[in-house]
Amino acid sequence: MDNTKVWDTLLRDTNERKKKAEQYVKEGKIVAAEDTVALLEAVIKSGDKVNIEGNNQKQADFLAECLAKVDPEKINNLHMVQSVVALPSHLDIFERGIAKKLDYSFSGPQAGRLAEYVTEGKLELGAIHTYLELFGRYFIDLPPKVALVVGYEADREGNLFTGFNTEDTPVILEATKFKQGIVVAQVNKIVDKLPRVDIPADWVDYVIEAPKPFYIEPLFTRDPALITDTQILMAMMALKGIYGPYEVQTLNHGVGFFTAAIELILPTYGEELGLKGKCCSYFALNPHPTMIPAIESGWVKNIHCFGGELGMEEYVMARPDLFFIGPDGNLRSNRAFSQVAGLYACDMFIGGTLQIDKYGNSSTATASRIAGFGGAPNMGCDAKGRRHPSGAWLKCGAEYGEREKLVGNMPKGKGLVVQMQETFREKMAPTFVEELDAWKLAKNANLDLPPVMIYSDDLTHIVTEEGIAYLHKCESMEQRMSAIKAVAGYTDIGLQADEKETKALREKKIVQTPEDLEIDVTRANRSLLAAKNIRELVEWSGGLYNPPAKFRNW
Amino acid sequence: MANWDDLQKSSFLESSARERALGLVDKGTFTEFISPIDRMSSPHLPVLGEAVEFDDGIVVGVGLIGKKPVFVVSQEGKFIGGSVGEVGGAKMVNTIKLAVDMYDKMKAENPDLPEEKRPAVVVSFETGGVRLHEANAGLLAHAEVMDQIQDARGKVPIIGVIGSKVGCFGGMGFVAAATDVIIMSEFGRLGLTGPEVIEQELGKEEFDAGNRALVYRTTGGKHKYIMQDCNFMVEDTIASFRDQIAEVVKISIDEMEGLRRIGSLELVEEQIKLVELAAKMQPSDSKDVWAHFGNEKPEELTDMPYDEFMKVVKRYPKQS
Amino acid sequence: MALNELQYEFKVDNPTTILKENYHYGVVGSGDMEVLMEKKDLGGAVKVKVVTPVSGFDKVWERVLKKFVTENSMGDVSLEINDNNATPVVVTMRLRQALAELVKEAEGGDK
Repeated sequence: MDNTKVWDTLLRDTNERKKKAEQYVKEGKIVAAEDTVALLEAVIKSGDKVNIEGNNQKQADFLAECLAKVDPEKINNLHMVQSVVALPSHLDIFERGIAKKLDYSFSGPQAGRLAEYVTEGKLELGAIHTYLELFGRYFIDLPPKVALVVGYEADREGNLFTGFNTEDTPVILEATKFKQGIVVAQVNKIVDKLPRVDIPADWVDYVIEAPKPFYIEPLFTRDPALITDTQILMAMMALKGIYGPYEVQTLNHGVGFFTAAIELILPTYGEELGLKGKCCSYFALNPHPTMIPAIESGWVKNIHCFGGELGMEEYVMARPDLFFIGPDGNLRSNRAFSQVAGLYACDMFIGGTLQIDKYGNSSTATASRIAGFGGAPNMGCDAKGRRHPSGAWLKCGAEYGEREKLVGNMPKGKGLVVQMQETFREKMAPTFVEELDAWKLAKNANLDLPPVMIYSDDLTHIVTEEGIAYLHKCESMEQRMSAIKAVAGYTDIGLQADEKETKALREKKIVQTPEDLEIDVTRANRSLLAAKNIRELVEWSGGLYNPPAKFRNW
Repeated sequence: MANWDDLQKSSFLESSARERALGLVDKGTFTEFISPIDRMSSPHLPVLGEAVEFDDGIVVGVGLIGKKPVFVVSQEGKFIGGSVGEVGGAKMVNTIKLAVDMYDKMKAENPDLPEEKRPAVVVSFETGGVRLHEANAGLLAHAEVMDQIQDARGKVPIIGVIGSKVGCFGGMGFVAAATDVIIMSEFGRLGLTGPEVIEQELGKEEFDAGNRALVYRTTGGKHKYIMQDCNFMVEDTIASFRDQIAEVVKISIDEMEGLRRIGSLELVEEQIKLVELAAKMQPSDSKDVWAHFGNEKPEELTDMPYDEFMKVVKRYPKQS
Repeated sequence: MALNELQYEFKVDNPTTILKENYHYGVVGSGDMEVLMEKKDLGGAVKVKVVTPVSGFDKVWERVLKKFVTENSMGDVSLEINDNNATPVVVTMRLRQALAELVKEAEGGDK
């Protein structure tokens, strides 16, 4: 045993920093807003791994602005580890030389600027992750030294109320605090008593009442007025061709208009097909306003939420049986646990995409935007570690055409992973392509791999306006490629389809057109929507849903 | 062509120009002039590589309400935002002219022409104004329409109807203001410069066009009803608009004068007083104005359903 | 930069003409199209004129229109389409809707 080696360097370092920051603490753990920049300069050191929230919905915007104001002479070369690059200030720190490296999951509106900074060398990209993957790394090789987080309220001891939009906070802070890291929280209000404690004071070092309420984006709201007849047709196909036959009870809907259309025709078409009670009872899902009619019609038994959705607070509070509600009556969302649920406890993921190549690899990457993945690849895959059976999982596994090649005569289950998209997107951009734009992005941004959201071996079903391809039934890559051509319509890929092959695939039920599914296409119009606009969603909710200003047109 | 009975119950907001034209007059009475069969599309758009429409985005024709010939002009907002170009403008001007000529002829033949037979014009506005692609032709059309509306005064009532998605903006905002009567639904919008253009020119702090609630409080039917910029507010069905039109055309041409927003010295003076009031009050939002005119809980008005709103709302007390 | 005018002619076995002299359907919104159908003596053929701002999709239009004409065994009909960036699925949907509405009206639908 070497007696000279020091084994508690992390704690010593943290205590040293906190000593420097002592002067800024007023009472308990409270620091004044105007002292925030100085506080950050005291507790952060160059080269640190720093997490900032950077969630999908909520943003620690005040702390992000302050971080961008620190002196780059004092603090530089930070390694940022965060879920989402959402705000301009998240990239300003790279511009100013305060940060150098980034590991993240999703970047939405900042994707273009992010790509520019990578090519210009202002930003060194670690890797793009799915949420759960990044959370996992917080416990292995990327524990944050400093975490800059956000909540609704704090008390003077430093307990935090993160409530409706708890999102990633618990997992970030467990990793940070128990590795002796430092936690700085911005809140809307410091109060005497919290409605409930989401994060215990022991995990929090500093609390700041920000000058204005934190920014939050309503990402999961879709206006029913914008849903097209084609999207409704595809929603009908999904219900009749997939949800029904597999009796999908547990699932996750990716965000978008296709899933919004499905949600809105559950009470009408879904009811007609007799699916209520047999499908869509349990969800890993954000509180989509478009779910309101289905919930009110008695479809749903339980929903676990990744995060909240602006405007849905009161509605969720009024439906406590269906959501995860604290003793105070507020929702508790939790992205890490929802991601786990989506991965292992749900039979199906269904969502939209931008491109699918001839092999069935699906990606939302474009040549000049590094948008990342969010949670999609996590839920959009076959969780090989799953063992508990369900009807849908067993049926899909039994139909899996390549199973014997991979596991011999052993029976196995398989998760359903469904991608929905029209064959042509806006401006006649084809969905089905020879080569994904992801290849170009990999070259431009110097990535090891082209960013693929869902790989071909995980993709079980494709739904286009032309039909459904049951890819998991295929026995070879060649057959998969034919099945894809059969539903790729008039795109270059689709025009390669061989009539005889397509006919054979239809007979084998590897491809099914709306006619094969006996769907009356003339019924595919907006009259099938349980709610046709935001106003009607409000009515369905009995006035409990409070749409944000940008969605009101009255 | 759609079924007239089905159309009556349909949402006016979601209806196409042709559906509105058909549904606003009596069942089976609508005859379209210069219909798509005549293929009178814009001669200017092809040169610019822009898609054309056989009716150039405006449906015109005549039908009956009772015994009254009602000339209809209905704008299609989905075609280049309902903007007015050369052909569409000509269709609009000449339909109104047809109505006025018909009146002159009928009056010449029968000096005691009964009110119930006096032709009327209904304009279903859905437009952003001038079709920029056609520049001067569009502007000229606006001038000619206003000129034609002047000719119609005292002869043929011009009834403006606004309840469609694009609203009535741009130069056509002037035209609408020049009509005798305006009927709106709460989903209709009436203004001059479009919200997006205001934001573009003066910034988000001046007017946040993305804040749809704000846009509707400023230009929407409920606000216009309170300010008496529109005379009537109805529910969002074709039947509701039709019923209101049927009521309006019973009003004598002399009484119509009292429904106008412009056209007399008194009306101009009243407008000036409103401008003075605005300068004094410096309202930060329409709700301040609604409160000023006696609405105690203005914030409740926006979400209020139609029947309740019509019962409790207090309007600006128009003098002239 | 001008509008493209595409012309096609199709001939199918056992063609039937439409039930009305002419019929119009659709609105030329963004991503949409209108169609004017007319009965015409064309020796059993179908003539189609497509006016569109989009270039390079001639073959796609041909396949979509051929499928529609064949599916409905059409003949002695002229189709004139004003297109504004409609995708093949929208084109197919509108053509089907136009024909269905035409039949409904001819067989005694109301005005």
